[in-house]
Amino acid sequence: MMRVVLAVKERKKPFLPIEAEAILPSAFLDQEAKLTVWKGNKELPFAEVFAVSIDGEAESADDVEIVIRGDSSRIKRIGEYMDGGRIVIEGDIGMHCGNFMEAGTIEIMGSADAWLGREMRGGSIICRGNAGDYCGSGYRGEKKGMRGGSIEVFGNAGDFTAEMLAGGSIVIHGNAGDMAGVDMHDGALVIHGDARMVCANMTGGTCTVHGTVADMMPTFVRTGQVLIEGTEFTRFSGDIANRGKGTLFIRRWQYMD
Amino acid sequence: MSELLIKNAFVIDPLNHIRGEIMDIFVRDGRIVESVGPNAEVIDAGGMLTMPGGIDSHTHVCGTKVNFGRYMSPEDMRAGRTKRHGAMHATSGYSVPTTYGTSYRYSTMGYTTLLEGAMAPLEARHTHEEFNYTPLQDTMANVLFDGNWAIMEAVRDQDTARAAAIVAWFLEAVKGFSIKLTNPGGTEAWGWGKNLTCIRDIVPNFEVTPADIITTMIKANEMLRLPHSVHLHCNNLGTPGNYQCTLDTFDLVPDINRERQSLYATHVQFHAYGGTSWKDFCSRSDEIAASVNNRPQITIDMGQVMFGKTTTMTADGPMEFNLYRLHHNKWSNHDVELETGSGIIPVYYSRKNLVNSIMWAIGLELALLVRDPYQCILATDNPNGAPFVKYPEIIALLMSKAYREAELATVHPDTGSRVPLPAIDREMDWYDIAIMTRAAQARALGIAGQGKGHLSEGAEADIAIYPLRVGETDPSREYDAIIKGFSQTEYTIKRGRVVCRRGECLVEGVNTTYWVRPKVSEERNILNDEEFKRNFDRYYTVRMSNYPVQDSYLQRNVCIDTEAQL
Ligand SMILES: [Zn+2]
Repeated sequence: MMRVVLAVKERKKPFLPIEAEAILPSAFLDQEAKLTVWKGNKELPFAEVFAVSIDGEAESADDVEIVIRGDSSRIKRIGEYMDGGRIVIEGDIGMHCGNFMEAGTIEIMGSADAWLGREMRGGSIICRGNAGDYCGSGYRGEKKGMRGGSIEVFGNAGDFTAEMLAGGSIVIHGNAGDMAGVDMHDGALVIHGDARMVCANMTGGTCTVHGTVADMMPTFVRTGQVLIEGTEFTRFSGDIANRGKGTLFIRRWQYMD
Repeated sequence: MSELLIKNAFVIDPLNHIRGEIMDIFVRDGRIVESVGPNAEVIDAGGMLTMPGGIDSHTHVCGTKVNFGRYMSPEDMRAGRTKRHGAMHATSGYSVPTTYGTSYRYSTMGYTTLLEGAMAPLEARHTHEEFNYTPLQDTMANVLFDGNWAIMEAVRDQDTARAAAIVAWFLEAVKGFSIKLTNPGGTEAWGWGKNLTCIRDIVPNFEVTPADIITTMIKANEMLRLPHSVHLHCNNLGTPGNYQCTLDTFDLVPDINRERQSLYATHVQFHAYGGTSWKDFCSRSDEIAASVNNRPQITIDMGQVMFGKTTTMTADGPMEFNLYRLHHNKWSNHDVELETGSGIIPVYYSRKNLVNSIMWAIGLELALLVRDPYQCILATDNPNGAPFVKYPEIIALLMSKAYREAELATVHPDTGSRVPLPAIDREMDWYDIAIMTRAAQARALGIAGQGKGHLSEGAEADIAIYPLRVGETDPSREYDAIIKGFSQTEYTIKRGRVVCRRGECLVEGVNTTYWVRPKVSEERNILNDEEFKRNFDRYYTVRMSNYPVQDSYLQRNVCIDTEAQL
């Protein structure tokens, strides 16, 4: 086992984002590699941003655990293309955490900024706080969002959660913002709290909302009542505006006045 | 004074009938000369294939439509990113790259001159601004006249001289090069939610037909003595059975210019379709090619489709709407007041799709069935059929039957029964390819006299040296080597300067824009035509005095003055 602790150093301008796609378990397998991050158009060695301590050795990415400590709320793209191992973030994390991730686990003790797990393929992300907008979605112009794996958010999620969802599962224990599941075509989205205007343009997949859906899309057809874990849900099919074959399970909803 | 000596070049220069000879090339101050002094910089070409710089006579690289293609597809922008490096700016985009991306990638393939296929006159400034940032190629623009109200009125009145006078004013005003007709009349009809199916339909409110527009404009073009002919995108693009419309259009074309064709028909692949619906869709490339073979007055370009992702963009608004209804992806639709319109959608051409596979075959068939390579130019209607970076693969397909068979084995299995391609044995040689990628373009555009497309004394020293040894490479078997060799030059030389070496662009560069100013007699000058001016100010949202593109939009430029017979 290898344990890497990256303690974010005090920064003069902590608001300036840092792009840190190099922070991956597999990146630490090669001890010689000179890892860098980007601040604006400046490439900086790891040591300028982090106090790095490494214990133990690893044969594969799965044997590596990275712990990120300190103010990492403006550090972006951690775990991008991650293919195994574990990253634990003790505080908050910046945008694009776990982009395109294929395997392994990312656990965020605080909150995540926008684009958490965007276009992710596999593995799992656990976020103990809130997630920002576009959690598990596709990036601008992309036709497919998350395709596999799982994201679990214990707090609330922002707008456009699971946009273009194409596989895998997203569970939000709190509320979701506007337009969750918009354009989703496969996979499963579960929202334990409330949501608004869910699943517009949906063509496939399932979305379950345990709370209340505000401004429910009028382009879904009611297809029956079902019991899920002892609770009664109404089943809808749509989005018929898009000839969609998606399924919604909803407990309470209101149409727009 | 700067001098350059290129030693041991294996030269193919079709306009000078040089079919492959080891020669030395001498360059002084950007032009080919007879000899240079002892202090000239020396490049040893070591027997490598050396040709005039490549010319693309139909590509969409600069202007409003192209730029809209960029911003409606951020995913395409992310697909081709390169970092800033040496003299090279950062680039992005795959099917619609940034202007620097376009310029560097063309230069890497040895291309030194580009014709932007469709510039809406009202939006010409944008095209010229982007030309200035396409620094490693010389540029010129087709000007869209397909739905120009004043022109259609002149056509209705059967007043060819007036149509010519209007064209003359617009060409000079927008610093354009040639007349482009895109689905003539069809985009104007689209403004009313309609389209035209072929050349005998009537344009709403104008009482003219596409046939009237095409024949009048061909005559007007010659009255103005323009270097290029009318450049036509036929009506009814992309529809099963449209080959008949294309044949009827070709029948309209008189042979009235001794130097070049009287009509350039672009992306003919999209106009060579048989069948009555997508279900019985098939190739009619043989009839189209036979028509071209009988008509020296027509030059076509392939409009080759290659498999993969791209973006389609054209002034043919109604056609793009039909494509949108097939694909259900994003769509852009645009009207240019009193002139034309446009549409854009992203597409994916799939080998598994029968229609796409047939389209792929048709482009190749046209090139292989048209006997004279001067009459069928290699192009993809970039990016409509494929991004231009696919040209080397197309060259290899034309040179190798084995490669075509290998590719045919990977496309939809029913393709072979719907197209003549499997039965065609022709393999084009190096000389044919040199014609189809530079000499034919120079002749068709009428720019050989500007020193383009050949290596005679006095010509522009635009030269491409490819890491290919003609005697040692068998194109019919070694198609991978052909693709590799044409993908990246050893040297691309522009105006006597090495601008690109093995894919690394070495200088910032400055492009030259070629434009045409026909000289019209005073009594025919449209500025003295009160009706034209009255209608201009009545219908346009722009004042006539504010319409012309100011000189400051052009940097280095060459004005081609013509003596109109008007
Ligand atoms: Zn075109």
